[in-house]
Amino acid sequence: MNENLFASFIAPTILGLPAAVLIILLPPLLIPTSKYLINNRLITTQQWLIKLTSKQMMTMHNTKGRTWSLMLVSLIIFIATTNLLGLLPYSFTPTTQLSMNLAMAIPLWAGAVIMGFRSKIKNALAHFLPQGTPTPLIPMLVIIETISLLIQPMALAVRLTANITAGHLLMHLIGSATLAMSTINLPSTLIIFTILILLTILEIAVALIQAYVFTLLVSLYLHDNT
Amino acid sequence: MLSRVVLSAAATAAPSLKNAAFLGPGVLQATRTFHTGQPHLVPVPPLPEYGGKVRYGLIPEEFFQFLYPKTGPYVLGTGLILYALSKEIYVISAETFTALSVLGVMVYGIKKYGPFVADFADKLNEQKLAQLEEAKQASIQHIQNAIDTEKSQQALVQKRHYLFDVQRNNIAMALEVTYRERLYRVYKEVKNRLDYHISVQNMMRRKEQEHMINWVEKHVVQSISTQQEKETIAKCIADLKLLAKKAQAQPVM
Repeated sequence: MNENLFASFIAPTILGLPAAVLIILLPPLLIPTSKYLINNRLITTQQWLIKLTSKQMMTMHNTKGRTWSLMLVSLIIFIATTNLLGLLPYSFTPTTQLSMNLAMAIPLWAGAVIMGFRSKIKNALAHFLPQGTPTPLIPMLVIIETISLLIQPMALAVRLTANITAGHLLMHLIGSATLAMSTINLPSTLIIFTILILLTILEIAVALIQAYVFTLLVSLYLHDNT
Repeated sequence: MLSRVVLSAAATAAPSLKNAAFLGPGVLQATRTFHTGQPHLVPVPPLPEYGGKVRYGLIPEEFFQFLYPKTGPYVLGTGLILYALSKEIYVISAETFTALSVLGVMVYGIKKYGPFVADFADKLNEQKLAQLEEAKQASIQHIQNAIDTEKSQQALVQKRHYLFDVQRNNIAMALEVTYRERLYRVYKEVKNRLDYHISVQNMMRRKEQEHMINWVEKHVVQSISTQQEKETIAKCIADLKLLAKKAQAQPVM
């Protein structure tokens, strides 16, 4: 290992200027727009995928919730593409940085909650007390529910960060394990390489699932508050 | 793809630079002029149906053609890779195995599911085209139906005179019938009146005859006295007795 394990998580700079901005701006370049009805295969499949996900996600919201559809669909596409691009060798994944995930999670969650408190204050406050609790437990339960509400943005951000970072770290570690074993014992290298391949498949799944989970939870918060 | 844009821009802007196309693109782009002349809105030039051919999904075919006169591109690639490895310009690290596994999984996925995804995308496009085509065909069919209806209507108009003839005949017949009916009625009325006069005359004559007969009878009966009546009756009885004797003699023969 020439560099330490966390070298891939340093925000890249070019002569002191943050290149992370350019890296974050890359995924939209891979999703072309087109003003034609019949497009090439890339645009057709992407449009079909986006239509599928948007329909799946937004059917459970009412009219007011559907005003967020652009935000949520672009969110899931951004997180999915960023995570998948991060699997390429020698690339930097912006979603491994807690700062970026917090910047995504806190405004979305706060927007949903504040919207709920502004429009339907009784419904929003009713979330603090689940149905059918025995009377002596009410004060404690209100405190617990408040804490669980306030922890939602943190959980969103930290969940995404931890999952992606852990995946990348594991890949790095097992890669270095194969590197170390390649000089000692070749069959075990192949075993460890198989593990690496399985892990890669898992990582691809995790990349997509995390995007889905993030967006799903935000949409859930939205549904509660519209 | 972007390299091809740069190459074509260089070829059009400065033909002498064709051989030195690897200069910084910024220099060449500065010679391009933008937004001169009228914007072309109609007709929009058609898009090429297929993109440029690439080998291994990354390197455009023109690159291979460009190198072939000079050096084999595979030899060049292998040489560069071996050079980087041996001089440790590219260090084999943990990342190498990660890269190998990721690229291996990607290539496997593309090889296995690539044609399926391509067919799916083609099917989606074909569905869109089929929908439009169906709309067009439906519209054409509708208009064709309208044309056929119009033609049949026109043909019907040609045959309208039959209808008019029949109607004319009907009306003529009806007029004829009413005329004859009225004629008959008139005839009957006139006959009625004439019959009345005739029957009045007949009745008058009969009445006169009866009256006369009654008057004659009355006077005759009045004129017959009683003695004449007795004589006549005796004579009649004597005549009858004679006739009776003659009559009785007849059946013996």
